[in-house]
Amino acid sequence: MENGLEIKLRVPLDQFVLKLEYTSAQPVIGVFGPSGCGKTTLLETVAGIRRTPSIAGAIRFGGTAWLDSERRVNLPPQQRDIGYVPQDHLLFPHISVKKNLLAGQARAARSHHDAEETFNDVVQTLHLEPLLGREVATLSGGERQRVALGRALCSGPRLLLLDEPLASLDITLRRRVLPFLLKVRDRFRIPMLIVSHDPFELQALCTEVIALRRGQMIACEPPARLFTRADIYPMAATHGFENVLPAIVTTHAAHKTSVRLGEDGSGPAVNVLPVEIEPGERLMLGFPANDILVATERFDGLSARNILPATITDVRPIDSHFIALAQLDGCALDPLAVEVTPDAVEELALRPGKPVHLLMKSSAIRAYS
Amino acid sequence: MELEPVVAVILSTLAWALLSTVAVMIVGVPLAYLLARREFPGKRAISAVVSLPMVLPPTAVGYLLLSLLADNGPLGKNTLGIDLDILLNWKGVVMAYAVMSFPLFVRTARVSFEAVSPRLEAMSLTLGRGRLRTFLIVTLPLATRGLIAGLILAFTRAMGEFGATVILAGNIPGRTQTLASAIYSAQQSGNDHRANILLATALGLGFVLVYVTERLTVLPGFKTSRLLGR
Repeated sequence: MENGLEIKLRVPLDQFVLKLEYTSAQPVIGVFGPSGCGKTTLLETVAGIRRTPSIAGAIRFGGTAWLDSERRVNLPPQQRDIGYVPQDHLLFPHISVKKNLLAGQARAARSHHDAEETFNDVVQTLHLEPLLGREVATLSGGERQRVALGRALCSGPRLLLLDEPLASLDITLRRRVLPFLLKVRDRFRIPMLIVSHDPFELQALCTEVIALRRGQMIACEPPARLFTRADIYPMAATHGFENVLPAIVTTHAAHKTSVRLGEDGSGPAVNVLPVEIEPGERLMLGFPANDILVATERFDGLSARNILPATITDVRPIDSHFIALAQLDGCALDPLAVEVTPDAVEELALRPGKPVHLLMKSSAIRAYS
Repeated sequence: MELEPVVAVILSTLAWALLSTVAVMIVGVPLAYLLARREFPGKRAISAVVSLPMVLPPTAVGYLLLSLLADNGPLGKNTLGIDLDILLNWKGVVMAYAVMSFPLFVRTARVSFEAVSPRLEAMSLTLGRGRLRTFLIVTLPLATRGLIAGLILAFTRAMGEFGATVILAGNIPGRTQTLASAIYSAQQSGNDHRANILLATALGLGFVLVYVTERLTVLPGFKTSRLLGR
């Protein structure tokens, strides 16, 4: 397993014990859970920053043992070849942005990266050129996030560790930073481990997500399946659940942008509010689960600009209401979760196999470009 | 007029204070860092011993050092087999200066190291830099302001040292006489003129040092935000 990550850990914490057994070769792995579930502990243990003697178990990446308490192996962080991007960024305050970015260049050179080429590539990908001469203290939150990400990338890491990369940013900044993360994922192809309490970023970035509760793994699945599980959805929907789907821009009109869903744009067409992005480019769309209407027939004379035929694949009780999972017809995208009341489920006779129409206002769909 | 011996006293006092400050820095920086960052057995005891000269009468410290270094003391020539030759010469002055100013420096340096976020150091490690490089590139620059303040404190404390110095090195004009002991001698022998010149010099030097310290703390390069690690 060239980029396989193997974790078998037991870390006693104040309130509970973090216990995890996990092996994966997925390129982008997410760890989801409420705050205080042991996510950051896990990330810091993988990074080698948390090194208390009570940590037992093993961590292997790409065949190298970073930790093996039985064989008394515990590599220090500087020997783990990681790129760590903490929530508080930890930029060095006494040097310029450029020097921050170059802080790991010695390691990059040791691991046979062309440091200069990587630097130019990172600066271009993350649009860091205008920031290079700035002092760290003058950067905004989104800029700090980009610089911290760039610094990690410039150090030639074999694994990127991201701690809540978007959660600390407000909604506007998220829209600006997410595309950079996607570009990093697709451009540099470095495996990532992302921990977050926010389902949004995990859905947008990860191929597999582990759910943690009080230090225990309760599930491990692709994000769309994980977050719609009856036991996970309530945790994921504390601030309203958003279905996240990729799309490709097709055309712009005066008051709208048309896109087609899917990584390759082979899915159905959807209209959203205008976004400044070239036709042919990709973007991420967020469909709030409580802003989608379900209709059993196609109505005319509605203001909703998007009426998509779909088929119900499942109806799951969540607390006092239900979520219906609806698979859009004619494409292989993950089903969308739609919040519905028990009355609606009964009156519309929503059950697996039922053909429906999903109604969405253009303004309810969030575009992250 | 007897200006020449006065200049000689001032120059040698400055030179000895400088030497002692360098010695204090060389031993004090690593010790302060260890006290700020690491837990080890005997940490509290070491911390207390280091601070002792600050609370003891300087003459007591001088007498203690004298007993240690006397011919038959634990560090004397009859015990060690070699003569360190510290007593009653300039090395005695530098030693008294260093021991008396050491606690001031270590305390200031420790606080400035503690103010540097350990997470910034951990961050530096994850970028592939070793502990020593991290210390030199991250910790030291972020603690600079406090370290410089500590060095100035140590230097001024050394300049003013009297009690321990006269016991360890004596008050020998032309050999171990310092600014402090020269003023004492001049006053005792009724040489008011000489005492006044020395006093004016002490005032002038003190003013310059305090002024420089104040300027340093408002220099644009020394922002307090640097210390907070954000």
